Amino acid sequence: MAFQILLNFFIAFIWMFLSTNFASSNFVVGFILGMIMIYIMRNFFTSRLYISRFWAVIKLVVLFMKELILANFQVFMVIIKPKLDMNPAFFAMQTELEQDWEITLLSSLITLTPGTIVVHLSDDSKTLYIHAIDIDDVDSAVDSIKNSFEKAILEVSRS
Amino acid sequence: MKTNDVILKTTSHVVFFIIFLFSIHVFLAGHFAPGGGFVGGLLTSSAIVLLLLVYDLKTVQKLLPINYTIMTASGLVLALGTASIGMFLGKPFFKHYFDHFYLPLIGDTELHTAMLFDTGVYLVVVGVTLTIIQSIGGDD
Repeated sequence: MAFQILLNFFIAFIWMFLSTNFASSNFVVGFILGMIMIYIMRNFFTSRLYISRFWAVIKLVVLFMKELILANFQVFMVIIKPKLDMNPAFFAMQTELEQDWEITLLSSLITLTPGTIVVHLSDDSKTLYIHAIDIDDVDSAVDSIKNSFEKAILEVSRS
Repeated sequence: MKTNDVILKTTSHVVFFIIFLFSIHVFLAGHFAPGGGFVGGLLTSSAIVLLLLVYDLKTVQKLLPINYTIMTASGLVLALGTASIGMFLGKPFFKHYFDHFYLPLIGDTELHTAMLFDTGVYLVVVGVTLTIIQSIGGDD
């Protein structure tokens, strides 16, 4: 992954030196040419193409924006209801994520979408304890988090 | 009672670099924009204090093996030395000199001896702040 990005930069620099034009636009041209070359040679690399990982990051950002707007709207509906009939709850969620940055990212995404807050992390970093403002069915909430955020993060970190 | 602080650690690893970069930017912007040695030094200290909050004193001392007393002293020497350049050249104390130089990659740059004085201030502020915090936090 890091090696591929470095290789792409290297190809772009070689392109700049070959064409003896050191403008930034020419660097971008060399970078795009390097991307095409790396895509053609994709079977020689042992890890995934960094372009697909980058695409997964963009998809994660778009998903987060969508969830943020939807969850804000839900919390707004809870607030303006005349009757107070919400069901706050704590629930535990098992996570499959391994690395520290993945767990941090998942916790931040859960906390930033309104209505749910990560309050505690178990000592083996396998269980997240989440507080929700209005919840009817715990299993469906866990499933929705697992299917949206966790899947997108796994898509980014898959080697 | 030791809780699992994975989230705090990972976040601080990222935020530390951002604060450090910002402190250098503020330190260099001091001549033509708000900023300067004092604010830059305090921001650098706050980045190191963030590390002190996440880890403990001994770990940070291992990470950054700096003697802050010597840092303070060298900052004072730098500031005084810059101030006394003019005296050796028959000009008053604290006379500053500046000129335009052409540096590679950066281009036309105005270099000023006030920058050296500011570096002295920066070192003194970082040294004093962290000496205070370490001596308060380090009484086991």
